[in-house]
Amino acid sequence: MERTSSSDPTDLLKEALEADGGPNVELRYHSKRTRSVSVENGRVDQARLAEHAGVGVRVQAAGIYGFASTASLEVGAIRAAVEDARAAAVASAESGKGSGETRALPPVDLAQGCFSEPGFEELQAKPIEDRLDWVLGIEARTRAASASIQSAVCRYAEVFEEKGIVTSDGAKAWTRLVRPEFATSAVAAKDGEIQRGARSVGSTGAWDCLFRRADPEQYSEEAAAMAVNLLRAGHVEGGRKRVILSPSLVGLLTHEAIGHTVEADFVAAGSCAQGRMGQQVASELVTLCDSGASEYLPGAGGTLAVDDEGVLAGRTEIIRAGILTSYLHDRRSAAEFGVPPTGNARAWEYDDAPLIRMRNTYIEPGTSSLEEMIAATEDGLLLDGPKNGQADANGEFMFGTLQAWPIKRGVRGELLRGTNISGTAFDVLRSVTAVGGEFEWDLGSGHCGKGQPMKVDAGGPWLACEVLVGGQVQ
Amino acid sequence: MSTHTQAERARFDGRVAEQREGRHAQALLNEALEAGAGEAEVVAQGSETIAVRFEGEELKLSSADSGSALGLRVFDDKRMGFSSTNQVGPDARQRAAMGALGLARCSPQDAANVLPVHVAVTREVDACDDQLSALGVADIVALARDLVARTLAIDPRLRLDSSEVSLRRGAGAVHSSAGVAASASSTSLSLSLFGMAVDAEDVGGFDYWGGHALNLEAFEGLATESITRFSDAALGNLGAQSSESYTGPVLFSPSAFMDVFVQPLVAAASAIAVQRGRSSLKGKLGQTIATSEFNLLDDPTDRRLMGLGAFDREGTPTQPFKIIQDGVLQAYLYNGYAAAVDGVLSTGHAAGGARSVPGLGAHGLSVAPGDGGSAKDMLGHLDRGLLVGRFSGSVDPASGDFSGVAKSGRWVEAGEIVRPVRETLFGGNLFDLLPQILRLSSEAEGVMGAAFSPWAMVDGVAVTAG
Repeated sequence: MERTSSSDPTDLLKEALEADGGPNVELRYHSKRTRSVSVENGRVDQARLAEHAGVGVRVQAAGIYGFASTASLEVGAIRAAVEDARAAAVASAESGKGSGETRALPPVDLAQGCFSEPGFEELQAKPIEDRLDWVLGIEARTRAASASIQSAVCRYAEVFEEKGIVTSDGAKAWTRLVRPEFATSAVAAKDGEIQRGARSVGSTGAWDCLFRRADPEQYSEEAAAMAVNLLRAGHVEGGRKRVILSPSLVGLLTHEAIGHTVEADFVAAGSCAQGRMGQQVASELVTLCDSGASEYLPGAGGTLAVDDEGVLAGRTEIIRAGILTSYLHDRRSAAEFGVPPTGNARAWEYDDAPLIRMRNTYIEPGTSSLEEMIAATEDGLLLDGPKNGQADANGEFMFGTLQAWPIKRGVRGELLRGTNISGTAFDVLRSVTAVGGEFEWDLGSGHCGKGQPMKVDAGGPWLACEVLVGGQVQ
Repeated sequence: MSTHTQAERARFDGRVAEQREGRHAQALLNEALEAGAGEAEVVAQGSETIAVRFEGEELKLSSADSGSALGLRVFDDKRMGFSSTNQVGPDARQRAAMGALGLARCSPQDAANVLPVHVAVTREVDACDDQLSALGVADIVALARDLVARTLAIDPRLRLDSSEVSLRRGAGAVHSSAGVAASASSTSLSLSLFGMAVDAEDVGGFDYWGGHALNLEAFEGLATESITRFSDAALGNLGAQSSESYTGPVLFSPSAFMDVFVQPLVAAASAIAVQRGRSSLKGKLGQTIATSEFNLLDDPTDRRLMGLGAFDREGTPTQPFKIIQDGVLQAYLYNGYAAAVDGVLSTGHAAGGARSVPGLGAHGLSVAPGDGGSAKDMLGHLDRGLLVGRFSGSVDPASGDFSGVAKSGRWVEAGEIVRPVRETLFGGNLFDLLPQILRLSSEAEGVMGAAFSPWAMVDGVAVTAG
């Protein structure tokens, strides 16, 4: 049987599970269908349909997880995969020292029923041919925005995901969602100088979520203007500085610099969050969370109702008013730490085993306006636009920013080129002096990498803090 | 679809696997042509993997898996469409063919939307090892246990976040209506070590190392080298302090030099980047762009590198390819599309897997050593400054601007490492700095199984310390 889409697979998984009859078995049907279009300078680089579907099987035996998968949704093939997974676990245990004991997972209410995020049917009904015409139009518009623009790119993709999760201890959930993503960029050149401008958004849901902040034409104009304006922009002066971070950079800070260090597998390895539970690690102004739901605004890109172990994906307060209150767990790490699982087990595709991953990570909004934060800055920078970011076990992070503006005596100056910023996560959170009141999800495009890619989102309000800024040395 | 378990499957046979992928490719190719495609190309890839993952000292996951992927590119009156699937049955083939053709028929025409000129593959690459063909889960577990035990025995302060050993056995085939019918198979073992050192309250920055090997003997060498490099870097990261701001010479490890200079340079040498106005190398063919000591080769015949192979993603033969010689830009890299735009032949640089349209990239990069002596000798030439172990940052290949943090960075005084550094940013423009390479070490080192490069001392880098 070749499965296409949109029928509940959990009864068939249950049949395979019952036919096997063994304990500690987890079956996950995962179908991912991608439609994507990419255009550069009027030429179609990608017009792509992709399907990747099958069943991932995890079996805990002799204290070790065994994993196998099959592309087939037939009971016989799934049972064979269960045997493969069990045999891998047993062979691993027999080949050397191991705990030899199958660890009891902590009791938790496992998901049952159908969980469908909005937008799936709406986007599925739109023909990809329409998307192609639309992307060609946006790219042409970006390229025509200025005579300085040498090259423009527009990309659009939508990923339809369906999962059926059935476990031997009671989960039986069917989930459906769609994640659209839009990106536009421009390269401008003048007098041998080349600069790039870019805008991208990603969400869970239909276009009302994807284009909530701005329509695609506005993103096109912003990308073109950024590339052209950066041609005449100056350089940032490097050094330790007071800065105001945009919601997208706050998202990077929460995800890269804090979120990874509180993933329980990383904590167990000795990250800087180990042994800090209950300690003051941030300003009292900071409350930082990770949630399977799209808090404050709909459509966050990492939204999911149920994780890949069948645990309901709720909201976890990692830092409450500056105090470290929780790590992020799957069922096994929760057992090891003696706490409830937080619904953070996620796998990229059916043939990947779940890892501890973030969902939507954010700092809760405060009460300051951006104008008040600028007015209160004597000498600093306003930074916007994440280019990339990475963080270390010790909490040291590096973020690339697309644009910067100097602030002198409470007044914002002319655009400067983007730069890189660095700091140590908890030190930076302790330096926070103001938290904005406006909230935005702004990290829904692109992927987080941790062995497997993953769709996540992050965001928050504008944030005033202190970081090390790279730039010209005076 | 087979329902045999791994235990029931036969020992891996590369030739049989190639024939199977060839049948899958030809079946989908026939489907697309019968559906009305003017031209079509199919890539079929199948693999089986055994992977063993440790977290800390504990074995967390053993995986014994197999999978397939088919990628179909069709051209219909100079219009292109693409589809991929991991299903190999007739219904999936039909969906893939109709999907790709439907997309092509609504795409705009592009004169360069043609299959590359067929050139026969004459070079053979034997990348299947008898011993690796016969290994099972218990063998990989034993290799992984040994790797973890040897690493953690070095020093009690070492922590492994994760470590993995994986065995991959697979085959791929490219068939096209232009006459391409190429196939290849391989077996390889790979490893990774990822972690840090912890000494009481002092958590050092993480480091990682790894690579791949074509046989057990090479794997043993890789394991020994990886353990040494990982533990040296992780332990050396303890006690990090701030450094100093300056503009001047910086010593780059082979890994950092590849990330900051070489990989973006190769991206800028992509013919597509040049054609589309986003490369600073446009119009620079035959010009000196780097110090005369700088030589860069793309070598798909290098058995130490993962890019080993006889043909590219489009079935075009590959061969050693000089990109930079004596500091002079020799050539741009072409895949079939870029070659059609410029009216030249592909250089065999179509890249990517079965799940997307062919991209453009190098196979196995190798920077030639210089005469700067050993890595320690290179340190001796740095009177006072920064050594960058790894690069965490960004490079814009269009402008050449780069900026990032020095990871596993060290502060050097009078040719000696005096302390590890933290929160140290550095930046510059790679095209401005390539002529300012002061010296390259006399030996090139492997970089994660993907490239070879010497250590490089580069002048004019701006360093910002916290």
